[in-house]
Amino acid sequence: MAQGRELKGRIKSIEGTRKITRSMEMVATSKLKRAQDRVVAARPYARALEAVIADLYSPELAERFPLLRQPAANEQGTPVRGSRAAVLLITSNQGLAGAFNANLIREARSLLARLSTAGVETDLHIVGRKGLGFFRYIGAKIASSRTDIGDKPTAEHGSQLVDTLMSDFIERRLDAVYVVYAKYNSPLSTPPVAERVLPVAPPVRNGPARDYLLFPNAHDILDALLPLYVRNAIYRALVETVAGEQGARRTAMKAATDNAGEILNVLRRTYNRARQAQITQEIAEIVGGAEALSG
Amino acid sequence: MLKVSVISPEKVLYEGDASSVVAPGFDGELGILTGHAPMITALGAGTLRVEGGAGSQRFSVAGGFLQVVDDQVRVVTEKATAI
Repeated sequence: MAQGRELKGRIKSIEGTRKITRSMEMVATSKLKRAQDRVVAARPYARALEAVIADLYSPELAERFPLLRQPAANEQGTPVRGSRAAVLLITSNQGLAGAFNANLIREARSLLARLSTAGVETDLHIVGRKGLGFFRYIGAKIASSRTDIGDKPTAEHGSQLVDTLMSDFIERRLDAVYVVYAKYNSPLSTPPVAERVLPVAPPVRNGPARDYLLFPNAHDILDALLPLYVRNAIYRALVETVAGEQGARRTAMKAATDNAGEILNVLRRTYNRARQAQITQEIAEIVGGAEALSG
Repeated sequence: MLKVSVISPEKVLYEGDASSVVAPGFDGELGILTGHAPMITALGAGTLRVEGGAGSQRFSVAGGFLQVVDDQVRVVTEKATAI
């Protein structure tokens, strides 16, 4: 029964794999919960900041803020030939999350391609081992990278990532900054998106402006708040990507667990059939032998 | 009563009623009581005190702004920790 033993081995191995994928699914589910909480907890700050910037912003003020400087660009908002843009790609440190990282990398490559056909020079900044590994492999030039952020990004990480880019933008060494990350709509929908964070697109006010007392004045308050707004955009990109990663991993691991179950069913059926065939054959042999003796 | 919320990028640290708020403004401390005119002011670094019915809560904050409108006080700051 050589085939039987072989089948038994495969069944054992797939059972082991299924145990692993199932526990990864459960780990991802619990991490997803916490990551989701972080996404939700980050909303009030963003909303409050947006509301106040929208309240204070007026187009006449725009020219006086370096972060709102609008470099020459075409209608699609792509900077013109000869300018310089930074692309910050956020990926995860670990794989086994389906096409999650591949999607992010594809989005980043299409953005880079679009910028370079427009004649824009790009600096590539990468967060996460997966993105770094890919761009190293294809031999792309990487301006900076970090892989130490993990699944608990803090506001501090956001500012560390964007502060140098912000000062480069203010000093006109950069004309645009993009961030590529996974937008977290739900655990099942985490599309990769490319967003322009600099120059800042000021939020629009809905409803009439309130008459506020302003201290010291609108200009100085905005001047202090715009960097907060940019940093927060990066922080949110980080937390949403972490939540998206866990969601994608849970989905991928659930699919793997289900598949393992299906394969196990088929293998078990084949194994039982082989075992039964062997027993039938043995009985036939015994009966045949007994008949030969008695005859 | 004032409705007060203290918001940092990572979470909402405080949300509830208070009788007064003392905040570190960009040029010195400022106190908010009910019936304050709508105001937005930049914050400096220092201690934020929220005097509630149950006692006072203190936070150390740095940067951001304070907004008062219709007896709602919102403190939005980049760095905030309860003390």
